[in-house]
Amino acid sequence: MSLTVSVDVMGTVVTLSLFHDGDLDMDRARPYFDEAEHVLREVDRVFSTYRPESPVSRLRRGEMALGEAPPEVAEVLDLCREAREKSGGWFDPWAMPGGVDPTGLVKGWAAGRALNVLAAAGTDGALVNAAGDLASYGVVAPSQAFRVGIADPFSPDTLAAVVELDGALATSGTYERGSHLLNPHTQVRESAVASASVTGPDPGLADAFATALCVGGEAVLERLERLARYEAYVINFDGSRQMTPGFALVEVTAS
Amino acid sequence: MIKRTPFVLAGTIAGLAGLLSFRSTPASMTLGTVAAASAASNTASNTASTPASAPASSGSTPAGSGPSANTGAASPTTTVAQTTPVTGVHSATGPLVNYYFGILSVKVTASGTKVEKVTIKTINDGGNPLSQSIDQMSIPQLESQAMAVQNANIQGVSGASYTSAGFKMSLQGALTKLGIK
Repeated sequence: MSLTVSVDVMGTVVTLSLFHDGDLDMDRARPYFDEAEHVLREVDRVFSTYRPESPVSRLRRGEMALGEAPPEVAEVLDLCREAREKSGGWFDPWAMPGGVDPTGLVKGWAAGRALNVLAAAGTDGALVNAAGDLASYGVVAPSQAFRVGIADPFSPDTLAAVVELDGALATSGTYERGSHLLNPHTQVRESAVASASVTGPDPGLADAFATALCVGGEAVLERLERLARYEAYVINFDGSRQMTPGFALVEVTAS
Repeated sequence: MIKRTPFVLAGTIAGLAGLLSFRSTPASMTLGTVAAASAASNTASNTASTPASAPASSGSTPAGSGPSANTGAASPTTTVAQTTPVTGVHSATGPLVNYYFGILSVKVTASGTKVEKVTIKTINDGGNPLSQSIDQMSIPQLESQAMAVQNANIQGVSGASYTSAGFKMSLQGALTKLGIK
């Protein structure tokens, strides 16, 4: 069975789920859900670029040094640096207007942090869905892996594909709010593909790579092909699909 | 499996409840073209500068707030007669349309009939603080998630979709101008 809780946080809705082959007691699960929610609220408090007083906003305005910010900020920026390097600069928080903006990685990273809390509950599996950034642990039930859908960018009510999930999955699309879908090389809001999905072990990196892939298209797909443990699935504007050889595709739904 | 169903539904209902509370704040998700502005952008040479004042002033009128506003979409695209595919790299900008938080237009760059790039040409949310605190994608994503989770043996949905009907509308206008579809 499963238990799911929705949390209204970070300007969106995050769902937290526990899965177990056997009974799940909400009274026993509640502390884990509460702690995961607390983690998400803390991420919002620290990283929101929409809250003028958040440490990241103050960092961006030069009112706070990195050393004065909560240690999570340096941790996230280190991960951003890794994502920038591995994406060939197609994900670049330092190229955003108004100062360093890790937003394109934070939602996935936050999903991973919340997942770590849920994993401690000791159930067969757990899943965090931060408005499309998925982070999973374990399985739905013994010998039943997580299966998740990728939304069809041309038809919001239907799925474009179903994927077997072991770790994280992030998808980026042409029209996403926020400055992170900005071409770091041209400073223009644009996309090369209609939808870009990336799976891999780290939810923060998967989020950043999906953003990079959406903006950079083919150039980033080639890089992800060479990168171990990260796989990608792209839906082009003409509806055609591309994927890296190891992408765990279960089925494809035509647009 | 059967045992799990009620809990999945419970999650879905909770998600939808969150949705509804978002929805009740601004008028509605309905969209419509901004008559004056889109007429301007339909003229042939809408390449570089979109007057910044036009979106702001048009945005204050509640043009897209009525349920029938979507019918306005037909006029800008049908007035464009060009349907012959062009060769070489070319681009076109779709009409300015209202979306949830303001006004936007979409630019498409194509090589022949292959779309190379889609760009947000203009976006103006009028400084609406709501648009900064609500992830525009989350509402429709949750809707599709709610439906998909009930219809397929899956545990979640990832994906950004052209859920801003305004975005889709402007995109379609640009594609029509390019003779692509």
